[in-house]
Amino acid sequence: MQETISFTPQLAASPIAEILWLIPAVPIVASGAIALLKQPKRRTAATLAIGSLSFSLLLALVAFVHVVGEWAHGGGVRETVNFTWIQVGSSHVDLGWVLDPLSAVMLVMVAFVGLLIFIYSTGYMEHDENFTRFFCFLSLFAGAMLGVVISNSLLLLFMCWELVGLTSYLLIGFWYHKPAAAAAAKKAFMTTRVGDVFFLLGIVWFFAQTGTLLFYNHGAGSLEPVALAALLAQPAALGLTAAGAIGLLIFAGAAGKSGQFPLHVWLPDAMEGPTPVSALIHAATMVAAGVYLIARVYPLMQAGALTGGTTTALTVVTWVGAFTAVFAALIAVAQNDIKRILAYSTVSQLGYMMAGLGMGGVAVGMFHLITHAFFKALLFLGAGSVIHGCHEEQDVRRMGGLRSDMPLTFVTYAIGMLALCGFPLFFSGFWSKDGILEAAQHWSVAKTPFYMLVFGALLTAFYMTRQVGYVFFGYWRGHKAAHESPAVMTVPLAILAFFAMALGLIGTPAWPWFRAFLDGHALAFQMSGFAEPGLIALMGTSTAVVFLGLGLGWWLYGGKAPEPEQPDVLEKAAPLPWVWLRNRLYVDELYGVTVIAFYAWWARVADWLDRRVWGGAVTGVAWAFRGWAQLNRFLDTNWVDGGFDKGCEELATGGGLLARVQSGRVQTYLRLLAVAVVALVAILIWSSRA
Amino acid sequence: MNYIDLFRATLPETALEVAALLVLVLDLSLLRKAALKARVAVAALLGIAGCGAALWAVLLQGNQGLFFKGTGEFLLATGGYAAVAQAGILVLTALTLLLLIDSVFTRHVGEYVAVVLMAAAGGLLIAGARDLLVIFVGLELLSLGLYILTAFAKSSGKSAEAALKYYLFGGMSAAFLLFGFSYFYGLSGSTNLAEIQRAIAATGPSPLFYVAWILVVAGLGFKVAAVPFHLWAPDTYEGAPAPAAAFIASVSKVASFALLLTVSLNWLMPGAQGNGSLTYLWGVYQTWPALATILLVIAAASMMVGNLAALVQVSVRRLLAYSAIAHAGYILLGIAVHPVYNWHESLIGFTQNARGPAALSANAVLYYILTYGLTTIGAFGVMDVVERATGSDRMDAFLGLHKRNPVLAAVLLVLFLSLAGIPPLVGFWAKFNLFAAVLGNSGGVVPFALVALAVGLSAVSLYYYLQVLKRAYVMPAVDETPIKAHPVTLTVLVGIAAAVVLLGCFPALLQGWIGSFRP
Repeated sequence: MQETISFTPQLAASPIAEILWLIPAVPIVASGAIALLKQPKRRTAATLAIGSLSFSLLLALVAFVHVVGEWAHGGGVRETVNFTWIQVGSSHVDLGWVLDPLSAVMLVMVAFVGLLIFIYSTGYMEHDENFTRFFCFLSLFAGAMLGVVISNSLLLLFMCWELVGLTSYLLIGFWYHKPAAAAAAKKAFMTTRVGDVFFLLGIVWFFAQTGTLLFYNHGAGSLEPVALAALLAQPAALGLTAAGAIGLLIFAGAAGKSGQFPLHVWLPDAMEGPTPVSALIHAATMVAAGVYLIARVYPLMQAGALTGGTTTALTVVTWVGAFTAVFAALIAVAQNDIKRILAYSTVSQLGYMMAGLGMGGVAVGMFHLITHAFFKALLFLGAGSVIHGCHEEQDVRRMGGLRSDMPLTFVTYAIGMLALCGFPLFFSGFWSKDGILEAAQHWSVAKTPFYMLVFGALLTAFYMTRQVGYVFFGYWRGHKAAHESPAVMTVPLAILAFFAMALGLIGTPAWPWFRAFLDGHALAFQMSGFAEPGLIALMGTSTAVVFLGLGLGWWLYGGKAPEPEQPDVLEKAAPLPWVWLRNRLYVDELYGVTVIAFYAWWARVADWLDRRVWGGAVTGVAWAFRGWAQLNRFLDTNWVDGGFDKGCEELATGGGLLARVQSGRVQTYLRLLAVAVVALVAILIWSSRA
Repeated sequence: MNYIDLFRATLPETALEVAALLVLVLDLSLLRKAALKARVAVAALLGIAGCGAALWAVLLQGNQGLFFKGTGEFLLATGGYAAVAQAGILVLTALTLLLLIDSVFTRHVGEYVAVVLMAAAGGLLIAGARDLLVIFVGLELLSLGLYILTAFAKSSGKSAEAALKYYLFGGMSAAFLLFGFSYFYGLSGSTNLAEIQRAIAATGPSPLFYVAWILVVAGLGFKVAAVPFHLWAPDTYEGAPAPAAAFIASVSKVASFALLLTVSLNWLMPGAQGNGSLTYLWGVYQTWPALATILLVIAAASMMVGNLAALVQVSVRRLLAYSAIAHAGYILLGIAVHPVYNWHESLIGFTQNARGPAALSANAVLYYILTYGLTTIGAFGVMDVVERATGSDRMDAFLGLHKRNPVLAAVLLVLFLSLAGIPPLVGFWAKFNLFAAVLGNSGGVVPFALVALAVGLSAVSLYYYLQVLKRAYVMPAVDETPIKAHPVTLTVLVGIAAAVVLLGCFPALLQGWIGSFRP
């Protein structure tokens, strides 16, 4: 557990912080403009989307440089710009945005990866007739995601969060004519909704307790010591403080968005969307929003922890993360769809990030988030390139030997794969995963998560080797010969590959630039960083584990992948576990027979109530009135028939009278005016006497 | 009082009058031979420049004013909520002038713009007036202008008829008002609102006071088209040329409600004079419930009659007239309900925050009337374009509008939904603020019931607004030839719709601006 981060509060925001809102606003406006374009205006749409995001990236870089510059002069920067959104009497709801190292790093990552994927998409979606719509949604997504990043208010964050969820839904279901895509979109929307309900509850509770939803507001924000102390003093149920309970509710929202167990089921299905969408939304940025959210509200999650201790909320985050990491990695072993393997790998890596946040703090979790964003986007785009080259084939068993057909894709994919596995020294994933493992090793509560995560690392190396073995080695088992993708797709791959390697440099123990930057510490280069007790041993362990995984994978799948119809090597060895893993450990089926069955039953009950009980009541009332009407008719025909005709005449006269009021005759109007005055005087004198 | 002070206090009005004279002179001399289009453009632009200058003066003035001779009371106040209303009047006047650019109902544009500016000057006067005589002069300046504007389409019989009705009704109301004023002078020996309040608080209210109050309410109720003084409104809205109708529906309403606010803040709210000693409070305590009761009765009647009568209209102009009556009802609710309701329960609590809630409900009233005026101008603008293209203001003229002119249809959608109070448009926040202020000011059963009624009737109002929108969007078009709108008109309308959306998404923008004028 690291010590509390100290930031010098900035009273006046710098010019760049003042215009930070432009970063999300410009892509959103561009998205609106694209929405107005006609379908054939493909080039304009792409130009608008890419241009707006480039502008955002430029601003994000300026903001980043500003923050780095301030940090170099000592101390962390935290500049906020807040404004009142709604005012009702003396109570008001404020919104705002914040520029600090956390948001600056995330801004650059989202804008940069997003831009590369935008460019890649112009190639990937070239033949799609709804090209403009695609870029409209993509641009809206980018704007909303950048909005999540800069929010200084839980409410603004939630709005953008929902907007991100909406675009995710729209893009998963982009090919809505495919039933699977439409179903996946619905599933994603509704599963994340489960988490969001808890999140919203947390927000409301938070607001009720602190009276503000601003994170930082010169001491009056909800994440600042005064508000947190008040929250800690407030007991909730089950021995939790209000801070802990709200933290858990917010974590439920984060778990939904970041595909943590048990809400992970939507993420693998979301692969029905176009591959650039999978890369951008379901690998690099949106699914990381949950992790970012926890990092953003970290003071709340951490509130009440003594030095070296932890809190209930963080413990829950750790266990859920560690469990998800192993659980998803296990399932990934037995999948055959190239994107599904990556999807489960994403779920697993998100588990690592959560565990890193829970045990090591913001910097540890966020470092893995950033490195993962690059190498996972690389892997997805590589997978997209493979799918594109193999004529929309996604089954790894029907590929093979692609390393000679698609050399560029192969090289970059291999780099991404080694980074994901955590191949030592030259790949970013090694350093970021090592940070998490180191934190797990020193965690005071239990050692189990450490072993779980090490096992997860073994599985990661194994299933990635299996995938690469199937896809790039062996011989071609598909139908039509594969071909390399155009440069507009391979160049982004190369750029991402560069960062998948280079990013490791900023997070080594000798030069922990990233951690120092996020925490606002001073930084020095010292080789003695490696001399910490146990560190070298840990690095050795993880290296050994990675090589073990790679070796196992190569031994089983290297260059001798079976024919598509033949069973997998592991399936022959252990059929029963294989079937379980193949079927995703039956979680979907479990939900089907519990939650969904319950809802179906409940819907039937409601339907029955509606038809029989309420409907019956309504029918009963209707019958009663009918009976009454019959009685009336009886009385009418026998007694008051003559009176009825009279009544009709009266009504006709009355209607005429009403019509005459607004007859257009001024004399009548004026007479009425006088009558009204007299009547009002009468009312007034009568009422004042009473 | 000297002339320098007078000049300083009436600087905005002076600016408008100078602009009016300039327009007249230019139009009748230099531009006599020029084309109609050029004359319209010059006149409108000059008028807008005048409004701009006056707006600048209003915002510059600050809280001061012209003092009533021999006392510390204002004859004519500037700054505060008066400045908010005045700024609103000027902006809305400029917008109605912009809508004129495309109109063809008259060749006498110079006169038209001059009359608009003079009427607006009358509006500025009554927004700041604190004295019966100033009120009456301002009111007449405004009203006479409106009668002329209504009659301006000389070739149209409807216009003349509407103007005559309006004039006769208005003349009678003015007579009532003046009669009421004379009673007040007789009762108190003063024409200053604050002095009158003090005098009556000292002697206690008499039946004559009530009669005088009703006469004044009749005069002001006519201006805001509240039931039962609303009978002129449907005919006038139907017959007047569209820019004139938009002016009557927006600018005149803002000014009149600002005046009602002045009267109620001075007379209904105890302690508003700055010396909230208990005797005053007692004195007013005995007078006020009856005064407010009348306003509540009128408010309830306006909401009911306006919304229900609008349901059966087939003319969009008449529909807008009845909806205006309904909106007047909501606003009157905000004006009538004051913190005295709380006073029954806790005297101390009331005296401590007497200014707070009342200022709040004044803010909510201003917010409502400004945004309502803006939305109505847009609605009349759309209706004008459609009417000129189809020759009818029937609802069926809007059939298939989204195919004939999608931009116009979108503007109509935004404006009508805002009038109905659908979030996140500005009309929602207007209603929300107003009802919240009413409920915040009073814990009484009656205001609560009236707010419930208002909310229910807002839902009813959605029906008739949607009737128009249904024709524009859903029902099959009879005629699909495109409707063309002048680019300036279209820009103004889109700008108004954008403002309605923007102010709705950021409600605190306007709230904060109004709040910054709190005295």
